[in-house]
Amino acid sequence: MSDDSNNINLTIDGQQVSVPRGTTVLEAARSIRIDIPTFCWHPKLKPAGSCRICYVEIEKARTLMVSCATDVAPDMVVHTASEKVLQGRKAVLEFMLMNHPLDCPTCDKGGECDLQNLTFKHGVDDSRFDFKKYRHIRDKNSTFDDLRIGSEIIRNQNRCILCYKCVRANKDIFGEQDLGAYQRGNITEINTPPGEQVDSLYSGNLVEICPVGALTNTDWRYKIRVWNTQTVDSVCSYCADGCNLTLWKDKQKIYRATSRRNDNIDEGWICDVGRYGYQVPMAEDRLTTPLIKKGDSQVPATWEEALGLISEKFKKIKDERGGVCIGGLISPNLDSLSLHTFSKFFRMVLNSNNVDFRAGYKMLPEKADDLYSKLTSLPFKISDIEKSDLILVLDSDLTKEHPIVNLRVRKAVTQKNASLFALNPITTQTGGIATDEMVYNIGTLHALLNGLCISLIDQNLTQYENARDLKNKLSPNTIEEASRISGIDVARINSLAKAITEVKNISLIAGELLTSSINREQLSGAIINLCLLAGIFDKGQVGVLSQAANSKGAEKLAVMPHLSERSILKIKQIWDKYPDNDGLALDQMIRSSIKEELDSMFIIGSNLMLEYPDGAVVKEGLEKLDFLVVADICETETTQIADVVLPLSTWVEYDSSFVNLESVEQKFKAAIKPVGFSLPAYQIINKIAQGFKTPLFETIDELIPEIKTLLQPDDSQNSFENCAIEYIEEKQNPEFEIPLLITNELHHFGYFTEKSNSLSNFCSEAFLEISPGLAEKLDVKNGSIIRVESEVGKINLPVKISEYIDNDVVRAYRNFSASPVNILQMRKRNIDRVKLTVVEGT
Amino acid sequence: MFDFVKTVLIALPKGFYTTFKHLFKKPVTLQYPKEKMPMAPRYRGLHYLEKYEDGSERCVCCGLCASACPADAIYMEPAENEKGERYSEVYEINLLRCIYCGFCEEACPEEAIFLGHEYEFSNDSRDAFIYTKGQMLANRPTKEKPFKKIIRKVRRIF
Repeated sequence: MSDDSNNINLTIDGQQVSVPRGTTVLEAARSIRIDIPTFCWHPKLKPAGSCRICYVEIEKARTLMVSCATDVAPDMVVHTASEKVLQGRKAVLEFMLMNHPLDCPTCDKGGECDLQNLTFKHGVDDSRFDFKKYRHIRDKNSTFDDLRIGSEIIRNQNRCILCYKCVRANKDIFGEQDLGAYQRGNITEINTPPGEQVDSLYSGNLVEICPVGALTNTDWRYKIRVWNTQTVDSVCSYCADGCNLTLWKDKQKIYRATSRRNDNIDEGWICDVGRYGYQVPMAEDRLTTPLIKKGDSQVPATWEEALGLISEKFKKIKDERGGVCIGGLISPNLDSLSLHTFSKFFRMVLNSNNVDFRAGYKMLPEKADDLYSKLTSLPFKISDIEKSDLILVLDSDLTKEHPIVNLRVRKAVTQKNASLFALNPITTQTGGIATDEMVYNIGTLHALLNGLCISLIDQNLTQYENARDLKNKLSPNTIEEASRISGIDVARINSLAKAITEVKNISLIAGELLTSSINREQLSGAIINLCLLAGIFDKGQVGVLSQAANSKGAEKLAVMPHLSERSILKIKQIWDKYPDNDGLALDQMIRSSIKEELDSMFIIGSNLMLEYPDGAVVKEGLEKLDFLVVADICETETTQIADVVLPLSTWVEYDSSFVNLESVEQKFKAAIKPVGFSLPAYQIINKIAQGFKTPLFETIDELIPEIKTLLQPDDSQNSFENCAIEYIEEKQNPEFEIPLLITNELHHFGYFTEKSNSLSNFCSEAFLEISPGLAEKLDVKNGSIIRVESEVGKINLPVKISEYIDNDVVRAYRNFSASPVNILQMRKRNIDRVKLTVVEGT
Repeated sequence: MFDFVKTVLIALPKGFYTTFKHLFKKPVTLQYPKEKMPMAPRYRGLHYLEKYEDGSERCVCCGLCASACPADAIYMEPAENEKGERYSEVYEINLLRCIYCGFCEEACPEEAIFLGHEYEFSNDSRDAFIYTKGQMLANRPTKEKPFKKIIRKVRRIF
């Protein structure tokens, strides 16, 4: 706005407006709150001008112009509501309704349909077309022409007005090729290529942007009319992106979730896990009452009985052996209030530091102020990704881990011409648009990063003064050696090094494989070296992305055993005390339990038996506990062995907040009342604390300033020093040679999403993803059952041959309780290796 | 004298004339339970749900009757049948709340609900006044009523 030469003055409906060059007439009009109706226009898509409803009259123009595709010009005079414009709109609507069926009573879009609303506003109430409407017949015996084009999408071509929003978004934004327009003229239809389905992770968005009822969701289909529902502002509780959601509910039931556009985070797109994840709280087998183990069975009890028992046992352990003999684990998918109360309960009431939230990680670093937490405390903004010229993705399958970050990366690459380099142990979907996708040998990322650092030093591309000194600290310390270990050509490493130094703005994104790796200190150090050498700290952002909805919050709210000096100071400031004993991380808790040093555990919202990456150890550990309290929303493998089970409310049942990966706290509101006798975690904890005669709060308002203090960003600048990085090859048993990766399935997150019907429709059972090459070697095809055997366990899984794996790595998914793949893992191993034996179906 | 003539000779016979005249006329009162009055064509009595010729229900559970209802007497739950069509799984009218205004039949785009001529539905339990879909379908008169045509004229449905 400062530079007036770039601004253009024009008149819209008699009002003067000044907008930047390149703005469309539609956007200019909307900026001064003049409404122009649209169908095919979408704020995040390029204009198509296919619906023609946004006609405006521009003086000196020969005809009516489509405002969404007309750029402003100096001294333009625009009329948006003249007689000619209204006539034009009416004509457009009449043509649209020519073949549009009058099935609004059965159409789920009825009540929120743009075409319906505009017809009421502008259209005629009768048609001049006397001939029969064209019908896209699916089945001659039926009056319905609905066709299922995806697991959760139903298309009714008769209703389609051919705005092509779905096709454009699918291609331009999501990068999918599975939807297109076929035929032409009157009989054009939106369809999938023969034999394919729309089942990408973003498919639900296509339904949401459809202006008419041509695309509908199966979850919302014929359930309720939109005017009978109420909307509630909520936030997604699955991954750490923190997309904003609107929940549509009536009484005690939620009917659907749609996006609530937040340009800083999601830009109006949400993934299907978030969209259909609301079905988990609606599951029919929710726990509704506390259960107490009596003999071999768990019997329903009242809250008084259950809480009395817990307080009594905890008190006994605390008095006899001290609070340090109780371990606490809370799920990072829970809200900030619960996480904070949990930490407060352990530190203030039990006087113990045994709190953790990292159920899915192997051996965790056991000290505070490590390199990893230094890296994670750096500011990172999703919206800044698109400002970058180069994006470096390390160890992260973004589509699976952070679908919305993936869309930003895609936007930066496809629309803003950024270059993308993906360094992963397997080929990823995001890598498809990368300038270079480096698929390194699994577990050798720090060697590869060393190679990159050496390449920067050797080519004299760095301004870092201690470069030579750093080079001596690296092992391997030649680029050839690094190349040999990682399996990436020297030329490719050199060209990446060159690309990094040439650009002005870099976003470095690292993901789950790094965060949960045993080697994460080494990897963090390698990233720090790279950032120092390439100056990324000064000219970009580094994001080591947290995983679950509130992982970042848990870190900031000190739900960890080992805290930095700063966090301890903050805690002393708000609570006046801090337990001086050394806390146990989850991994240590389980070990102490096996050694019978830990007597009891209090687990909230976490299915440790399925999540902890060493099935055998966690089973032994939990069974040796004297007293296990588990609070969860449904029955799980962990609640089955618990002494007391408490029913937990889900995030749609109370008001609280999540802290997303940008450290932004986002509040959400309750949509429904707690199911059965379930309670939010913070209330459960407070009730237990009341048994100790030390309630943690009277009203939750008391906690809010405490949380605010803890969530405040640290003002002090982190200074980074270069680190010695040494790559040591992990010893492996020659019998088990195929590396195994365990991640979330594309349409699942955590262990509860299989309770969502829609997400189960996408994928309902575990499978083993293998590369076509390996499949040929083993002589298996899709669906063959294969025995996956590691040193500690074995399991049978069906095979799926995937184009996204092109080396001898296999991938399994942790989301399915019927196939607990964590029994294959060992907590001491960095890379789990397995042996494959074909059982049947060759 | 004049008064006598006026009352006894004129007024009295005049009065008796009226009385005796009605002795020979058909009585106006109906012997209600045995006899019933013919209803006006647009009388709004108990609701019924219409069906197609092939026996399938007309109601698609669009919810317009429920939203038009000023007394909030209609409750419905849609569902999908095996053909993929929308139908009402639950359709209930609370007859105690209903004010028989006829807005529901006016709102219905599928010509599914009508207010019939039935008015004998008194009961001694409140629950019995929750009128379910089965009852409303059973209540359907067998032959086409002329008022259906009138409604079509009024609403100008094509």
